[in-house]
Formats: sequence, structure tokens, C-alpha cells
Amino acid sequence: MKKIVFIFAIIISIVACKTETKKTEDNHQQVESKTETPFLALGEFDTKAGDFVNKEVKIQGIVDHVCKHSGKKLLVVTDDGKVHITSDTRFNDALQGSEVSLKGIVLEERIDEAYCLKMEEDNIKSHSEGKSNKDQFDQKKEHIQQYRDRMKTENIDYISLYSLQYVSHTEVK
Amino acid sequence: MKKLRKWSRILHRDIGYFFIGTTIIYGLSGIALNHMSDWNPNYSVSIEHSSTSINLENTPSIKNNVLILLDEIDSRKNYKKHYYPNTNTIKIFLKGGSSVLVNLKSGAVRAEYLKKRPVFYEVNFLHYNPNRIWTWFSDAFSASLILFAITSFFMVKGKKGIKGRGGIYTLLGIIIPLLFLIYYL
Repeated sequence: MKKIVFIFAIIISIVACKTETKKTEDNHQQVESKTETPFLALGEFDTKAGDFVNKEVKIQGIVDHVCKHSGKKLLVVTDDGKVHITSDTRFNDALQGSEVSLKGIVLEERIDEAYCLKMEEDNIKSHSEGKSNKDQFDQKKEHIQQYRDRMKTENIDYISLYSLQYVSHTEVK
Repeated sequence: MKKLRKWSRILHRDIGYFFIGTTIIYGLSGIALNHMSDWNPNYSVSIEHSSTSINLENTPSIKNNVLILLDEIDSRKNYKKHYYPNTNTIKIFLKGGSSVLVNLKSGAVRAEYLKKRPVFYEVNFLHYNPNRIWTWFSDAFSASLILFAITSFFMVKGKKGIKGRGGIYTLLGIIIPLLFLIYYL
């Protein structure tokens, strides 16, 4: 009996050694800020997000997809547009199909020729290693060509892709 | 040394018993999540094709029409939301992660039904650290794995112990990950 008590004492000690006093937080609970966050309709997200890079905005839409691999990416959609959301913590997959009002920081990713070359290189490598099939390889190749065509047509050096870094959300009933 | 051996056995055995459930949880979910690119570890997916003549264009009666469709292929009780990904398609979300895609022109219906995989869904949920208390518990489990490794040095003496066969196994178990590191890193 003494031995069992001793073993449990060790286990409890290990748990108690966690001295981190950081306030426990529910990862995806809403934290209302007092300042009004600008609202971006998804239909105009791609055209207006450039004005809010690194700033917090609010969107509303239906969660079309929760990434099954990481659980840390969402695709939020409406009839008029869509936006990708990334988070440091996992989302509950029950969110899929729910309408959410979501706050996030606008992130910008620039696609330029160097980026296209890198994607091209990765695509060839991935295909040669057997990680992607012919269809996936061709699809990616076409996608890269679309970026190049768009840059050429619009006479621009890069394409900006916008997404949101997750801050908080509430479900809209 | 005798006392050390005795306590190594006691700790290895009794903490081992205590963490049997947790070991199975991490073992099962580890295999399930390792093969994520080959299968959906949380849900089994079934696809059903059918067709409909119900008008699902974006009209004021759309919600009601969607519910009528769901009565035909599933149940209106499962309705969650719908939207139009493009002018030719409506996507209807059902409770539990299932969804229905309808081609508005042809009336072709593609329903994707998700069903939670019993046991796997639950062990995967725990594997992903659902909250801080579980993090502490799983930290204790991880610490106990280190303790198992250390105590195993002292548990058995003689040619089956660390100075004999046990030592060879230990070396192999260290060399294999090292080889992977040398080759792939």
C-alpha cells in the first residue's frame, strides 16, 4: 500500500511541477474589443483587404471547410466570395457548415516570379519523388501559369493574396 | 544497486499499469494520424448520387425547397446552412459535417455523408490536446515514458539485462532514428 501511495505521490508531483501560471483561456472563445472592428464583406474582401494589412477586420460567412490535417485552417464562404483563415490553435470540426462572425488580422502573401519559380521547383520535386500524381502535377503547373498570365496581363510584378490570422469568432444562429 | 533494481521494477510496473489506457490512446491515434494522407482518421465518408427536379435557384422559397430535398434524401432536421459556390451549384451543409452538392442545371445530387469513426474519433480528439488539464496529464505520461526508459536499465541483471541482450536492443533503438536523421535531415 505504501508503494502505491508513493507512486501516486510521484505522479502528482510531476503534474504539480507545472508552474506555469498563464491564465487558462478557451482557445476559440470570443474576446470583444471595445474599439469597433471594420467589417469586410467577403464579396469585396480581395479588393479591400489591401487597405487593412496587419489590421484587425471582421467578416461573416459559412465555414465551408476545416482542414482535416492540421485543424488550424478554415475556409469561410458566402455566395459572393471566400477567405482562408489560419490559426495557432485547432478549430472544432463541428464548425463546418456553421455561420460565423469572425475577427482576424489581414495577412498578405505576395506571389511574384521568384515565388512561381520556387513553386515550379517544388512541384517537379514532389512529382519526381512520387508524392503527387500526374493530375496533381498538371493542376499545379496550370495554377502557376495562371499566376504568370495574370501578372503579364495586368502588367504587375506580384499578385497579393489575402487571408486572415484568426483572433476570435462567434456563431451566428 | 539491489534497492535501485527493486524500485525500478516497482515504478516501471505500477506506473505502467496506471498508464495502460493512455498508452493505448496514443498508440491507436498515433497510427491513425500517421496515415492521414491515406484515410480520414476521424470520419468514414460515404458518397451517394441521385437527382432532383426541385427548384433550388436562389428564390425567396429556397430554404423551404432545400428542406423538401433533404426530406427526400436525408432529413430536414439535419439542415444547417446553404450557399452557392458558383452560379450552377448549391452546397447544403448538414449537421455532423455532411454536405450535399446539387447541380442546378442537371439536378444531379452528390451527398457526402460523414460518420464518426468510433474509438478513433475519441482517441484522436485526446491526441490533439483538447485542453490544458489534458496537456498536464499527457505531460505526466510523457515523463513516465522517460522514466520507463531509465528504469529499464536497472530492472534485469545478467545477460538479458542492459549489459547483454538488453544493451543490444537499446543500441539498435538508438541507431535506427539516428540513421533516419543522418539520411533525411
